[in-house]
Amino acid sequence: MSKPISRRQLLQWSGLYSASLLLSSCGSSLGSSEVGQAFEPLNQATQALLLSQKPVSEYPLSAIEPDKLLINTFDQTPQIDPTKYRLQIEGEVNHPLQLSLTDLQEFPLASMVIQHVCVEGWAAIVQWSGVRLRELFRLAQPKSSVRYVYFKSADGYYESWDLASAMHPQTLMAYQKNGQPLSVDNGAPLRLASPIKLGYKQSKWVTQILLTHQLMPSKGYWEDQGYEWFGGL
Amino acid sequence: MTSTTSAKRRKSPPIPTQALLAKIFHWTNLISLFVMLFSGLQIYNANPVFGGREGWHFPSFLTLGGWLGGGRSWHFAAMWFYALNLLWYGLYVLISRRWQKRFASDSDVKALRVSQNAKRKNYALHRIVYTAIVPVLVLSIASGLSMYKPVQFHWLSSLFVNWQILRTIHFIAVPTFILFTFIHSFLALRVGSIRLIRSMFI
Repeated sequence: MSKPISRRQLLQWSGLYSASLLLSSCGSSLGSSEVGQAFEPLNQATQALLLSQKPVSEYPLSAIEPDKLLINTFDQTPQIDPTKYRLQIEGEVNHPLQLSLTDLQEFPLASMVIQHVCVEGWAAIVQWSGVRLRELFRLAQPKSSVRYVYFKSADGYYESWDLASAMHPQTLMAYQKNGQPLSVDNGAPLRLASPIKLGYKQSKWVTQILLTHQLMPSKGYWEDQGYEWFGGL
Repeated sequence: MTSTTSAKRRKSPPIPTQALLAKIFHWTNLISLFVMLFSGLQIYNANPVFGGREGWHFPSFLTLGGWLGGGRSWHFAAMWFYALNLLWYGLYVLISRRWQKRFASDSDVKALRVSQNAKRKNYALHRIVYTAIVPVLVLSIASGLSMYKPVQFHWLSSLFVNWQILRTIHFIAVPTFILFTFIHSFLALRVGSIRLIRSMFI
């Protein structure tokens, strides 16, 4: 005759079971992508809700931390001839653009001292200067269907952003860092820079900007490995 | 039948009981906090708070997620359970006036200082310890939110002076919670033996 399981025993067993489940998953990525996928919609909606077009408060020039900005690259550092470089803006726009560095430098220079935050946990206060992305969009005239912006880089890196974040007044296509011309390691000739996104969203060596109405299966190099897509700060 | 059992029980000390809502809070807090803790160590390893990339890393059996992206997935899922659990429990404690009966007060501090009764002193110390962890629980959310959204919660993150101080404060929660778990368990055993501990879990 077997005794029926008491509520107490059941609770004890379920407690032990969940504890062992937790311990056995330590050190492995088991379940991580499922958890990420389950909670990304909620986290993303919260981040989109928090996003505002108001400029982020900046730091004084004296706060810049030149040594703290680390170099992260997923593959190789591309060498680009600045005279031959062209930035293409295309997709669902009325006026596709092809801009040389001289063309870009004719736009008013926008400059900001902001905190660059890396997904790895470090941060650096840095000054970026360049062209406001929204200025370029004003010329290209996105169609009303556009919701996403893809950035393609010379090293094969790719990223996608929501349109609202791309239109933020402090989202720049930067060609200067801390008042100096951008170094190749930091993304010369042209990189994305913004205080409202994590570092992996801020592509270096950008050569093509594509405006679309939908996200493609490839959302971004790191996003496709499991980082969250929105990456807002 | 009921009268005989209650007559029997009157001879031994009363069996401690906990409100069901307190038990739900305790379970949810314990599990979500340890998911936060282990996935937090995974995130820590991507760039140690102390020493940066060359700094000491936690061994993989203490980490949850397998890699930085996985650690972040767990961390930013468990944060909802951890934070919302603390929020509803905080409201419940305020509305039910539970804070007046079940948390440390002046009389516990006084008992600790002047009481000759060892039992009363143990009881007071335990109440003070588990009351003192509440601000640490809240501080973890404040420092975590300041790192997760330093721009949208700039008013909050600026209270932590700079990024390194912010990361350090957020990290110090880990040894604090582990130490607390041991002290809290030890004191609970001393105050009410295994029966008190069982009353909170079952």
